[in-house]
Amino acid sequence: MTNALDTMSGTDRPVGSMVASVSRLPARPLTKEKVVIRLLLSVLAVTTVYALAHLDDGGVNLLQAASDTLANLKIIFLHPGGPHLSFLKALYEVVITLGLAFLATLFGAFIALFLGLLGAQNLAPKPVTNVIKAFVAFVRAVPTILWVLIFAVTAGLGATAAVIGMTFHSVSYLTKAYSESFEDLDRSVIEALKASGANWWQIVFQAVIPSSSTYLLSWTFLRFEMNFANAVVMGAAAGASGVGFDLYMASGYYFDLREVGLITYLILAFAIILETIAIRMKNRIKDDQA
Amino acid sequence: MTQISQLPGAPLLEVSHVMKNYDGTRPALDDISFSIGKGEFVAVIGPSGAGKSTLLRCINRMIDVSDGEVRFEGVSVSQLNRRDLKKVRSKIGMIFQHYNLVERLTVIENVLHGRLGSKSTLSGALGRYSRDEKRQAMELISMLGLAEHVYQRCDRLSGGQKQRVGIARALVQDPKVILCDEPIASLDPNASKVIMEQLKRFSNEMHISLIVNLHQVDVALRYSDRILGVNKGRIVFDGRPSELSPERIAEIYGTELSAPRVRYAS
Ligand SMILES: Nc1ncnc2c1ncn2[C@@H]1O[C@H](COP(=O)(O)OP(=O)(O)O)[C@@H](O)[C@H]1O
Ligand SMILES: [Mg+2]
Repeated sequence: MTNALDTMSGTDRPVGSMVASVSRLPARPLTKEKVVIRLLLSVLAVTTVYALAHLDDGGVNLLQAASDTLANLKIIFLHPGGPHLSFLKALYEVVITLGLAFLATLFGAFIALFLGLLGAQNLAPKPVTNVIKAFVAFVRAVPTILWVLIFAVTAGLGATAAVIGMTFHSVSYLTKAYSESFEDLDRSVIEALKASGANWWQIVFQAVIPSSSTYLLSWTFLRFEMNFANAVVMGAAAGASGVGFDLYMASGYYFDLREVGLITYLILAFAIILETIAIRMKNRIKDDQA
Repeated sequence: MTQISQLPGAPLLEVSHVMKNYDGTRPALDDISFSIGKGEFVAVIGPSGAGKSTLLRCINRMIDVSDGEVRFEGVSVSQLNRRDLKKVRSKIGMIFQHYNLVERLTVIENVLHGRLGSKSTLSGALGRYSRDEKRQAMELISMLGLAEHVYQRCDRLSGGQKQRVGIARALVQDPKVILCDEPIASLDPNASKVIMEQLKRFSNEMHISLIVNLHQVDVALRYSDRILGVNKGRIVFDGRPSELSPERIAEIYGTELSAPRVRYAS
């Protein structure tokens, strides 16, 4: 026993000295990347300090401006309401925004269902899944608003372009989510069904889709929630009507702060409802996978 | 293929001079020939890697043979177009070690999948099963002792129950042959016994031929009418269980069984 202890402490010493020698080593040598990053950070720091020192405030009293902002926020959040927009009218506009989101999600889900099948490795040959993956990555790399502007060239700025643009991103998001859900069904199960004489379409509609339906619904709803937020922005940015457009008019055109407050609260309420359901959906996906 | 009716007296399944080369080094199947009659219960034994699974998968053309021929009901399987292959496959059931069920679907849904091969693409894809098909599926499920699990998801079942669903899915095809790839390799002795006895019973009652890959020699001896011993892609034994002597077993398993004995002796 003592022997064992001795040998243990004996082996301990060299290990300890090794650790010490490691910590004494200088930090990793400066690589080219590190030099560049440090240089960039220093330049940014210097310019920031310089810009602050030479800020042209146009004669605005900073204290006065801050208290005015607070007063405006007070109007927005404590006195919502508005002459242009009754509560019912605002609610109606929210429903229109929901409609935009719904349409984009519906079209997106329909297209993504087929692309998702072609993108699933257990259902399609490798070259096809690669093409789908590349397409999805490309669509996703371009921001939604850019797709909207591209389609605005032919459809004109408005609801149509907004829905098409949002559909594009929904397709890329849902294609990835769907094909991953489909891939949960083991290749060997698909083989077994093929061995009994079932063909691709029968396997897809009788085995693959039914066994992943929970996931498909959950992912689709998650996308709907994201599309609602997108649709608010599109209303303002692409003139796609709905509550986003009213928010834009109230804040940028009438400058009616009370109306801004009303709309903000409404959007918030709907966003919270959708988010609550979305969280449940996410848990459902997690529970089922566990 | 329906025009070519089965020749009288021709065996149900005829495998002749089948070769399978996966990558060109050593063939997985090397000149395999045998034929099987109606209702025969054939066990295929041999060490792992001998080519047992490959052999089964060549029969329903889940993989293509490199050379030789498989004839089912007198028709060469390798010549068939997609549609006729679907028809042939619908008459050949298959059962797997890992059951290969759609785990998130119910027992009845999984069993009905066995009917897809006999339906048109559209009615199969839409899942339009006739009343007869549903009744047949229900009957098989009760016969296999799963009556109270009909609407349960398969991931809630035990291994033995899952394999019985696998058997029901194969039987609902109304098959002439069922290929079983290590059907009891993942089951405990009790469940294994139930499965083997049910296979034996259906083979007898419904005159279905069975080809069962097994790695337990005693199980093969107890249940089969005939044993094929495979080693390194070749058939080294083809005979009745009573003819399988310990020497022949050692030959089938090659060094795998004899090597430990030698080591114990020394
Ligand atoms: N898909 C495959 N690709 C390449 N080689 C394979 C493949 N499947 C099986 N093999 C090889 O073929 C031989 C026989 O395998 P297998 O039929 O699975 O044997 P068994 O079922 O008797 O254990 C093995 O050497 C195995 O490595
Ligand atoms: Mg095997």
